[in-house]
Amino acid sequence: MASGTFYDAVIVGAGISGALIAGELSRAGKRVLILEAGPAGDMDTETYDSYLTRFYATAAKDNQSPFPPSDNAPMPRSKDVHPIGGAHPDASAYIVQNGPFATDSTYTRVLGGTTLHWEGKTLRMLPEDFETHTRYGQGRDWPIGYADLEPFYREAEREIGVSADVEDQAYLGISFPPGYVYPMRGLPLSYLDKVVASDVDGMPVELGGERYDLRVRPFPQGRNGIPNPKYDGGKGYRPVGAVSTSQVEEGGRCQGNNNCVPLCPVQAKYNALKTLTRALQTGLVDILPQTVASKVHVDHGGRVSHIEYKTYHAPDSKDHTTGTVRGQLYVLSANAIENARLLLASGLTGTSGLVGRNLMDHAYLLAWGLLPEIAGTFRGTICTGGITDLRGGAFRRDQAGFAVDIHNDGWGWATGSPWSDVLSIVDDHNKFGAELRRALVARISHQLLLAFMVEVPPSTGNRVTVSADYRDQLGNMRPVVTYSVPDYTMRGVVYARELSRRIFQRTGTADHTWYDPEDYGYVTYEGQGFAIRGGNHLGGTHVMGTSARDSVVDANQRSWDHENLYLVGGGSMASIGTSNITLTIAALCIKSARHMVAQLRREAAVAEVATH
Amino acid sequence: MATHKITTVDQLHTYLYAAMQLEHATIPPYLTALYSLHPSRNPDASHVIRTVVVEEMLHLTLAANILNAVGGTPDLTAADFIPTYPACLPDGETDFQVSRRAFSRDAVQTFLDIERPAEAPHEDKRVVSRDPDSGPHLPASYAVSYAMSGMRYWSIGEFYEEIRRGLVHLHQQMGDALFCGDRERQAGPENYYSGGGDLTAVTDLASAIEAIRLISEQGEGLRGGIYDSAHELSHEHRFEQLMLGRYYQPGDRAGNPTGPVLHVDWDAVYPVKTDVTIDDFPEGSELRTAAIDFNQRYAEFLAFLTQTFNGAPQRLADAVIEMLCLRDGMQQLMRNPIPGQEGVNGGPTFEVARLREKVAS
Repeated sequence: MASGTFYDAVIVGAGISGALIAGELSRAGKRVLILEAGPAGDMDTETYDSYLTRFYATAAKDNQSPFPPSDNAPMPRSKDVHPIGGAHPDASAYIVQNGPFATDSTYTRVLGGTTLHWEGKTLRMLPEDFETHTRYGQGRDWPIGYADLEPFYREAEREIGVSADVEDQAYLGISFPPGYVYPMRGLPLSYLDKVVASDVDGMPVELGGERYDLRVRPFPQGRNGIPNPKYDGGKGYRPVGAVSTSQVEEGGRCQGNNNCVPLCPVQAKYNALKTLTRALQTGLVDILPQTVASKVHVDHGGRVSHIEYKTYHAPDSKDHTTGTVRGQLYVLSANAIENARLLLASGLTGTSGLVGRNLMDHAYLLAWGLLPEIAGTFRGTICTGGITDLRGGAFRRDQAGFAVDIHNDGWGWATGSPWSDVLSIVDDHNKFGAELRRALVARISHQLLLAFMVEVPPSTGNRVTVSADYRDQLGNMRPVVTYSVPDYTMRGVVYARELSRRIFQRTGTADHTWYDPEDYGYVTYEGQGFAIRGGNHLGGTHVMGTSARDSVVDANQRSWDHENLYLVGGGSMASIGTSNITLTIAALCIKSARHMVAQLRREAAVAEVATH
Repeated sequence: MATHKITTVDQLHTYLYAAMQLEHATIPPYLTALYSLHPSRNPDASHVIRTVVVEEMLHLTLAANILNAVGGTPDLTAADFIPTYPACLPDGETDFQVSRRAFSRDAVQTFLDIERPAEAPHEDKRVVSRDPDSGPHLPASYAVSYAMSGMRYWSIGEFYEEIRRGLVHLHQQMGDALFCGDRERQAGPENYYSGGGDLTAVTDLASAIEAIRLISEQGEGLRGGIYDSAHELSHEHRFEQLMLGRYYQPGDRAGNPTGPVLHVDWDAVYPVKTDVTIDDFPEGSELRTAAIDFNQRYAEFLAFLTQTFNGAPQRLADAVIEMLCLRDGMQQLMRNPIPGQEGVNGGPTFEVARLREKVAS
């Protein structure tokens, strides 16, 4: 950052939202500064390779394992979550868990953000997801509909590089303009998907007075496949491979490695570094790394005047310098929890009082068993197919919808396979050498894990707050999360478990599902207990709406209270439906960026008139 | 005006087959150096070599496309398809030979020699005489030497220039009838892509010349520049970065890279025996069995590629999985010492022809 440089926009957070907006603004000729909390390395393969090396070398392979921890910009980690006991919040890890439910959702504070560990599913939301209140009397309506967002979905699919076939994805009202094709052809279903499909396709289900015939459907994926020559009116699509300052070649196309989460070894999976690299090529984007925004200052007119930040000198040292940055516009793109945390730490609770409230995250229910036949589990990317028929329908008046993932990484999420299998075969069955290999292959190749991603509606009681009692090493207040899984969601969970039993019956799967009452995610509902997992799909904390009274941002993610402040990302979403949220976030941010460019031009024109 | 060396379609087929041999012949030396690197100890060197070798695979596929476009039949299974290393390049020079060897300064020097842009000083030097007994040659030389009566090209670039002139010449005589190949045999971007350049279908003179331009420029750069017209660094300068310990960046001049430091750990390398052969491995040893298995697998892979180049381009995607298996096989061989030989490890021998000897005997 050149000192004294005037920036058209100051962006907090270099994840997909910040990167997309930096790209759009800089290509419109605007100067942009990004503050990134993480210890951002260079935009080259060395940093990325260091993540891979750390991941390969570590024993605990959770989704944060590749990234160097820093107490200056701490990250939540699933392995830090404990059952919350007693009356006091559990403050042992970065997120202060106020309960009653302990969330294991995470986000990554490095350059590129959580897209460095995302799975890469790029489902569009259903048209009905934008109007659940009108249609089903549940949740909140959006101020925009599917049709408003559809053109931006297409732009997001180009930016991320989505592999899918329209004929597989046009269901439950999801529509595309005539002739549209995705940038790349759909990735094939895995052998495991096909084994499940052979028994599940055509399975009838009655729910909410309607009949559904289930089928295993491929998911759209943010990973490189075969470019579709029909894309863009026959121009085709050029996939983006590994990001580097020097020219490298990693292959760039999905090779079926099974560690998509956290890291794709060949960068076939999209990450925001790809978008960021393109933004930096304009020469108009500066990044200030190791810099945590600590306070947003507002002037008497309600405009943001500057942002105060702390730049730490080294990840392992709390030595830091405090400074301020100014710009015409300010964009908080630090994810739903960090955006809310920063606003609340700045005393900006908003006219509506909804900042930090309506925190949403998908509730995952896992069900696992052993198939009667060898199903080739652990081949392919982590998830290629699933059941999406129950994402929408009249039953949503009474219970949450869900999408079902068939996990190609077997029981990994539930039990820690395949490492836990190795331990058990060695310790409990005393096998070694060739016998160990055979026993391991025999066990894991039958594994089936279904992950039900259950909708969670917005609820003002689920919220992020801050407290002066809980601070990080730099003195920034930590997020305090108060959260419970709504009954509406739990009714969906109960139904999901029932459905899993029926699917296991049809496929001849021996059910091994077991929910430990000691599990941190253990939730009981009507006498049954379930272990619920978080989805890292955080939303709602600066919810979008039609007025300053009942929402925090407008349809362009601009703050109602502060006309030069944009709060972007999952926090703006009024519902998260049953789609992984990144694609929708990307579409929203592209839409917002266009609005920001228009606002900058308008304000520049006003300034011009004022100086004459 | 120089005399045309390619005046018949048959000669053109011979040259294009030789081009495929030539592109492939660089791959065993590059892969041997690449996989001799200790895992994750030399990421910079690994990326540099990998980028070049993937582009050689692109060139091989482009050469197959051109050959298919003019009605030829790509065949990677002929007995002489892989050279016997060490081998000379068919460029009229005998000052270096190409070996399969571990990553080292000597290996990189050879790579620089392979990729050097040797533009002939005069038109009449484009083709130079060469003593046929000056050492083993890449097999391309045998095929071409037959047509050329013992003449050799000054450089790989000049060799492709001859093909370009031949294409233009024959197209003047025959018109579009020259491009009589079945369109269905062309591999396109839907079947294949890499970060370094597009695989384009060859259907006419313009696309054929474009394919040749891409092959030449990626190797040598654009008219002596270090970058080609797609802003990609030439192979020669990619390798030069390893010697100089620094990356090039746009605006740099040859020999003076000013980009970030490039780290090379010359010692983090498995001591693969240079030009190792099956005979190096004792009868009955695991290494020998593994090496023969690898050669068998490599022979099957070349047969598979031959199928894809003969009307099944959509199967090219499956080659990726096979290449990952071949990589594992190579790494396994390189990480094991040769019994009875002090301080040297095994490696892939690529002696596919010897598999046939065995069958024949």
